[in-house]
Amino acid sequence: MSAFKRDKKEEEDSGGNPFQNIEKTSVLQEARIFNETSVNPRKCIPILTKLLYMLNQGEQLSAKEATDVFFAMTKLFQSKDVILRRLVYLGIKELSSIADDVIIVTSSLTKDMTGKEDIYRAAAIRALCSITDATMLQAIERYMKQAIVDRNPAVSSAALVSSLHMTKFAPEVVKRWVNEAQEAVNNENVMVQYHALGLLYHIRKTDRLAVTKLVARLTRMSLKSPYAVCMLIRIAAKLIEEEGADNSSPYFQYIESCFRHKSEMVVYEAAHAIVNLDRTTSRELAQAISVLQLFCGAPKPTLRFAAVRTLNQVAISHPAAVTACNLDLENLITDSNRSIATLAITTLLKTGAESSVDRLMKQIATFVSEISDEFKIVVVQAIRALALKFPRKHSVLMNFLSAMLRDEGGLEYKASIADTIITIIEDNPDAKETGLAHLCEFIEDCEHVSLAVRILNLLGKEGPKTKQPSRYIRFIYNRVILECPSIRAAAVSAMAQFGASCPELLENIQVLLARCQMDSDDEVRDRATYYSNILSKNDKSLYNNYILDTLQVSIPALERTLKEYIQNSTEEPFDIKAVPVVQISKPDEQDTKPKSEGMLISSGPTKTAPASREEQFAVRLSNLPDVQSLGPLFRSSEVIELTESETEYVVRCVKHCYARHVVLQFDCLNTLNDQLLENVRIQLEPSEGYKIVNQIPCPKLPYNETGTVYIVLQFPENDLPNSIGTFGAVLKFIVKDCDPATGLPDIDEGYDDEYMLEDLEVTLGDQIQKVSKANWGASWDEAESTFFEMEDTYALSSMNSLEEAVTNIIKFLGLQPQERSDKVPKGKTTHTLLLAGIFRGGIEVLVRAKLALADGVTMQLTVRSQNEGVSELITSAVG
Amino acid sequence: MGLFQKLVNLLGVGRKEVNVLVVGLNNSGKTTVVNSFKSEEDKMTDIVPTVGFNIEKFQNQNLAFTAFDMSGHGRYRDLWEHYYKECHGIIFVIDSSDRLRLVVVKEELDLLLQHPNICQKSIPILFFANKMDCKDALSSVKIAAALGLDKIMDKPWHISASNALTGEGLQEGVEWLTQQIRENLNVKH
Repeated sequence: MSAFKRDKKEEEDSGGNPFQNIEKTSVLQEARIFNETSVNPRKCIPILTKLLYMLNQGEQLSAKEATDVFFAMTKLFQSKDVILRRLVYLGIKELSSIADDVIIVTSSLTKDMTGKEDIYRAAAIRALCSITDATMLQAIERYMKQAIVDRNPAVSSAALVSSLHMTKFAPEVVKRWVNEAQEAVNNENVMVQYHALGLLYHIRKTDRLAVTKLVARLTRMSLKSPYAVCMLIRIAAKLIEEEGADNSSPYFQYIESCFRHKSEMVVYEAAHAIVNLDRTTSRELAQAISVLQLFCGAPKPTLRFAAVRTLNQVAISHPAAVTACNLDLENLITDSNRSIATLAITTLLKTGAESSVDRLMKQIATFVSEISDEFKIVVVQAIRALALKFPRKHSVLMNFLSAMLRDEGGLEYKASIADTIITIIEDNPDAKETGLAHLCEFIEDCEHVSLAVRILNLLGKEGPKTKQPSRYIRFIYNRVILECPSIRAAAVSAMAQFGASCPELLENIQVLLARCQMDSDDEVRDRATYYSNILSKNDKSLYNNYILDTLQVSIPALERTLKEYIQNSTEEPFDIKAVPVVQISKPDEQDTKPKSEGMLISSGPTKTAPASREEQFAVRLSNLPDVQSLGPLFRSSEVIELTESETEYVVRCVKHCYARHVVLQFDCLNTLNDQLLENVRIQLEPSEGYKIVNQIPCPKLPYNETGTVYIVLQFPENDLPNSIGTFGAVLKFIVKDCDPATGLPDIDEGYDDEYMLEDLEVTLGDQIQKVSKANWGASWDEAESTFFEMEDTYALSSMNSLEEAVTNIIKFLGLQPQERSDKVPKGKTTHTLLLAGIFRGGIEVLVRAKLALADGVTMQLTVRSQNEGVSELITSAVG
Repeated sequence: MGLFQKLVNLLGVGRKEVNVLVVGLNNSGKTTVVNSFKSEEDKMTDIVPTVGFNIEKFQNQNLAFTAFDMSGHGRYRDLWEHYYKECHGIIFVIDSSDRLRLVVVKEELDLLLQHPNICQKSIPILFFANKMDCKDALSSVKIAAALGLDKIMDKPWHISASNALTGEGLQEGVEWLTQQIRENLNVKH
């Protein structure tokens, strides 16, 4: 204690952080004092504190340094000083991942964890679990089991939470502690009960039946801990979602009964769960909303915040229900807590009528400068929703947004405003001119390079289509004079687009480009020269291919192929067609984001998206024999399940399409813990014309591991119609019975067995990669003379609406909708869908589908492609 | 031991803290040996294989011992060396009924003696030929011969047959060790 006091005094004296100027080398040097024969806690405590501070500041130690200081620290176990010992536990946890041989302290920690000193025990368990790996866990298993059911709540909680962490690397061992965890659920202590339920659920969560039983049992017995009840509500809500149960299910009734719980936390959790269920009806919703409404008037700011935040989230899915709270929300607008006020206003914006927009916007304007960026983004998103709902209000909203753009703010905030303006421009032609004007003004004074580049790109695309394109040139050329190289380069590209699309401006653009060729940066000069050359040719198709439509290959793949090309010195010129086309990211990725925010069980920080799925597959596949000779990977399909998800063996298939071949990747999972599968292969019955080129079986498939079987097929040669086919598939393997605990087979001899799989289809969509054309109309016109055209008319009798027809056609053909033609305006009976894509082998495909609604949907389909067979295939496949 | 020394010990003036390292193969009885030095109320009832090491404290003739009871398991033997530097004495425990692994014992002993932190220092080594109660136990003389202890010239050593369960032979050995360490300390000062 004295050491702490002294530290504090020093802090007061220097008036700052006493650890401000510590250095790694000097701390490590000082740590040698730990090695002295008699330990002096007063000297060691500040040094250890410094070490911990340093590690928490992100200082990296090498394995050698960490190991040295770790072993020095182990000698501190001889001191009986309580503070020092607890610091040692912290030190062990910090260094456990860096230092070698950390298991050396296992016995010392087990001694502390089972000892008489209660103050050591919980911390010792946590430290012990951080140094233990799967092989060592067996040795301490007995102690962990005892600790879970210990009478001391701190010890029990520590053991439970540590067990939860250890399920990451030793799920099998932790599973055996289920009885102890069960006992801990009955513990009197609220935290222990909560942690025990957490562990119990985690152990059983893969087994639906066990979870059902668990929930059924626990809902009947009244849990004392409000935390545990909240957890149970979440589990129950998840079960309802999975089973698609309706409001008569016992889970639902349990959640409803929680409305009468005495803890506010539980009541809120129940309301939150119900409003977030997919299929709540208005009756149940009303009850939940009335609970939230009650919270809106609560004296505690946390409750008000929770309620208004939830209302804000559900305002989009159930606007009518939230309208009931409008009066309470109005009161919250003037709340002293700005976060609550912001959420209240944005909720009102989502649910309110058109007439109240002006008033609410004025309200926001009064305090928008006082709230943090994060909430400003919430406001911006509300405005975006509003603009889509009330297109006529665009001038009010646009003015407000441009005012916000002029304020100070981070990149994310500014980007969300720019995004909103762009959405409004795209959605509402009336707002286009004013929106572009605002953006032009914004880039005059924009400190975010990436944003400026994006806006210049947009100006280049949209500017030429406006009534008076020339007015934008000045804004763009100003950038060339004033900004950094990357913005200058973007500005040059934007100008070239004007030159290509507006013949009357061509001459002036050429003059400007000529000036840009004098730029100090070579990227800018290169672009200027490139564009000015193309523009001087005066050739429409050149414009289309090299200025308006940009490169559509996937950039990482291009990098890879170029690298390969440089390495093998060939005489042939590089073929850009050999590079796989980039897959257009699905727009629904963005749609799911707000949904996950309201999810019941937090999924931790969102993982960074993998570079590209295709790219990863390409690398994996290129390691297989023979596959390299097939050429570049063209497209990988979505994962297809060939079995029910809860069967003995789970098989999923991914179809990888190459120019003339298709590689089928079967991911097989063995879910039987008493079986070891060997020589796993797939017997395929290919449809007519297909040839099996190669088969790569999976030699061994132990329990709970995924093995992969590959089959390489050749597409039917010169027979495109037969490339669409259905294959029968059977999983074949040798079974060896084995001991579930060790995974070792009981006998050497196995027996053959097989397992029927669902049929596998190779569809048209598998062979087509989506591409997006910047100017579909121009490409279509150009294709008229050079491409093969096929036309046919179909009656799609099963479709009842144009939207349904559009989504089905896109899904079936696997083409990318162009120029936002996938959105059908409301109340129309005819619609034209424009599609584009590339067939395997690099054959371009353009499709126009004219749809008319009358007693089912009638479709006139026009296909233009570079290959006659492909056009024929597409028209015949639809019929 | 002179009269004066005895007086000093009695008054507790010359009380010193020393570290000793307890090593040996697994299942030779290291933890049991250390356990029987401890006072009655601190003693453990069940002894399990050590993973890593344990730190125990006990006293003998006013010398406060801190024993680093190392794990003897093959996997962890190379961790002993982390503790060589600061030790004042070594207790090497041998299972005298385990004839088969006597060669392993010799190998580990040689490694220990050759270690740079050990070979230059003249620290006392106490050998316990443990489990002397076993029927087929070798005598301490035979073990000393098998391990080639007579070749250790630069360090004082002593071997005593022991039974850690009853405590037989332990006291004699540790008294020798205390004596040696005390002499070493006196030379330094």
